[in-house]
Amino acid sequence: MIDQFAFLISEGFKNFFRNKLASFLCIITIFINFSILGSLFVVGFNTNSLIDFFRSKYTFEIFLENETQPSTYEAFVEQLNTDKIISNVKLIDKEESAKIFEKEFGEDVVEMLGYNPLPISIKVFLSEKDFEFEKVNSLISTIENMDFVDEIEYRGKYIDQMEDRINLAIFIFLVFVVAIIFLSIQIISNTVKLSMSNRKDFINILKYNGASRFFIKTPFYIESILQSIFGGLLAFIFVKYCFVGFNSYFGLNVKLDEFLWIWIIGFSIFIGIYSANQSMKRNLNE
Amino acid sequence: MVEFKNTSFNYSKQSGVYDINLRINENEFCFLVGPTGSGKTSLLKLMYFDIIPSKGEVNILGFNSKKTKLRNVHKLRKKIGVIFQDYKLLQQRTVYENIALPLHINGLGRTKIKENVSEALELTDLTDFQSKYPHQLSGGEQQRVCIARAIVKNPEIILADEPTGNLDPTAAHKILKILEQINKEGTSVIMATHNYKLIAEKEYRIIELKNGRLISG
Repeated sequence: MIDQFAFLISEGFKNFFRNKLASFLCIITIFINFSILGSLFVVGFNTNSLIDFFRSKYTFEIFLENETQPSTYEAFVEQLNTDKIISNVKLIDKEESAKIFEKEFGEDVVEMLGYNPLPISIKVFLSEKDFEFEKVNSLISTIENMDFVDEIEYRGKYIDQMEDRINLAIFIFLVFVVAIIFLSIQIISNTVKLSMSNRKDFINILKYNGASRFFIKTPFYIESILQSIFGGLLAFIFVKYCFVGFNSYFGLNVKLDEFLWIWIIGFSIFIGIYSANQSMKRNLNE
Repeated sequence: MVEFKNTSFNYSKQSGVYDINLRINENEFCFLVGPTGSGKTSLLKLMYFDIIPSKGEVNILGFNSKKTKLRNVHKLRKKIGVIFQDYKLLQQRTVYENIALPLHINGLGRTKIKENVSEALELTDLTDFQSKYPHQLSGGEQQRVCIARAIVKNPEIILADEPTGNLDPTAAHKILKILEQINKEGTSVIMATHNYKLIAEKEYRIIELKNGRLISG
């Protein structure tokens, strides 16, 4: 059994080198398809970062009535801090508001009017991780009904619309990726099938000599795995250095998933085995 | 050993074999004769389950064509050695590798493979050709490689489909002599041929086919 298994493994390797043209065509097909898929994956990976970027900007500001007592708003800040969807709360008192006003308009409002009319406000930063529009809207309407709250400034609707559009773009992108994956499977599968139908005689010789399906299939699987590893590895190197080049030439910050190589090679092996299996089914009349 | 019971198989309306009733015994040497298209190859293919009867059944070495599942056909083929008119050799492998193939399929170890291949090479007079590739050999030599590959696993039965079809008379006689030798050592041989001259002086059983039907035998 060990002798037979060792023979099958060595046959897989030998076939890979014996059928140079078929191996070359399979590797090129896998390389082209996985270069496209890998690039789409990198773009998709960075689209998520874009959403994270927008979400990091989710804040709203609560302006309090002038007569609000410190004990009231301090207790309110403490209460806000316990909410799961809030990551941070910043209290902006009258003095700090005046400073912000001066920074933005270049005038000292206290000097100009003789008193400080600016309200105390609380800036609320929302958690990116636990963010949900429904929960935020419900929190805002609760706060709006409080006696000491004068006004709430929230640009959530615009961000919400933007995220909707990004989500639509991601959906279209995913449909595109699925179509490419389907096409890749077809193209790779047909290339493998073509290379195997050329060896129909070889398969028949094995069959007539009493080879089991396992014996016939194993070297083909090994050959297919080798082609996938080479094709996938080349695609990974190409995608990686293309984006590294883009980043340096255009000054971009496109990030690459650290497991991209596993993803590309793993998926190409999966498609390779699937294609080989489909092809074997046809050749062995299963 | 081999039994056909009302066996029929047809590729189309005009070709195939029909209502075959036949029994071939252990250690028997028989010729399957008939003109081209008479059904000799079909009859052999029915024996190694390359085709399955559309009617009737075939029993061979304990395997029944109706009961044997497709995934178990290889177990039958391990017991049969098949010789083809077109040799069916692996062109990218040496004579030694071609002959060793059935032994790898049977899961034998390297030492046992070497031993059995040497015996087969000796019997077929191919010892000096073991490192050559099929395309470097003559037709007769290639057919001997095919025979060596068939006998190397010590099969219970040899099915030879027109093994002398492409050979000159001298090479054909040599092939027949090897098959007779194999038969003497206890292996049944069923040889399809339309070379009546070659078998004229032999006293083996002759099974005759015409238009897919059994005429005599």
